[in-house]
Amino acid sequence: MAGLSSLAAALVARGRARRSVRSAVGKTLETIGLAVVFLCLNVGLGLGLVLLARAAVHRFLSFYRNDDVTLVVLSVLQALVFQWSREPEPPHDRPR
Amino acid sequence: MSARVALRGIGAAAVALFAALAFTPLPNVLYVVLVPPSAPPEPAAAIVVLGAGVDNGVLSESSLRRALGGVALFRRGLAPLLVMLGPGGGTEPSEATVRVRMAEDLSVPATALLADARGRTTRDEARVCWEDLAPRGARRILLVTGSEHMPRAAALFRRAGFDVVEAPVQELSSGTDRPQGRLELARALLRELMARAYYRAAGYL
Repeated sequence: MAGLSSLAAALVARGRARRSVRSAVGKTLETIGLAVVFLCLNVGLGLGLVLLARAAVHRFLSFYRNDDVTLVVLSVLQALVFQWSREPEPPHDRPR
Repeated sequence: MSARVALRGIGAAAVALFAALAFTPLPNVLYVVLVPPSAPPEPAAAIVVLGAGVDNGVLSESSLRRALGGVALFRRGLAPLLVMLGPGGGTEPSEATVRVRMAEDLSVPATALLADARGRTTRDEARVCWEDLAPRGARRILLVTGSEHMPRAAALFRRAGFDVVEAPVQELSSGTDRPQGRLELARALLRELMARAYYRAAGYL
């Protein structure tokens, strides 16, 4: 399914693409890499906070709180925003 | 090596890992390697069902499977006592209480049921269970928990002093060929591997 829709998208974009597929794949891998980094940071921070809460506040928090799919989605969003913030501003989007 | 190249490498590795976990039998193979098969259950002095989560009085899927596994062993006459574990939060009924009510609805006599909501981790559960069962002389137990959780749980209960007969409950299909099923299997295994690493590092195992 994903292969078919990718093929359809490639056909639609043919002639209008401003980037080569190779460059687009590289950019995508970069964003995925960023998402992985954000995910590791978020999970690491979460585990640290759980340990801190257990040690300092004597309040029990489960490590499993960090095992939440929403963390993956949030990490991808963080990566997208971070990635786009590094791109040059298109001329018509520049604040006046 | 620039940060850009490093990120592309991490991204490529993540995509490759995703493809291997979702579209190849890698998680199924890892499951077989990491989760040893167990012998058929034998009679014991008590059946101990470990907690797996409750949300506002609703048992998680794993919790329900484990509780039903415990009730099935009791109905087979393998032990005279069924111990339901699992904590609660705030004013909501604990997981142990919800499970005991369910077991009563499934015709397990109230006199054969024991609920203990004190244990919040597997290690805690082993300790509170020892406090509950040692005075009754119940040292040989049928331990009910998820298959992937069993090696760590059994080691902790043995360390607490119990003679453990393992009665694992299959919480996920180890032979699934659906990509989502394989990813769920991989996630459960990764979670358990991290828990085992933490328990070893902390000296609990």
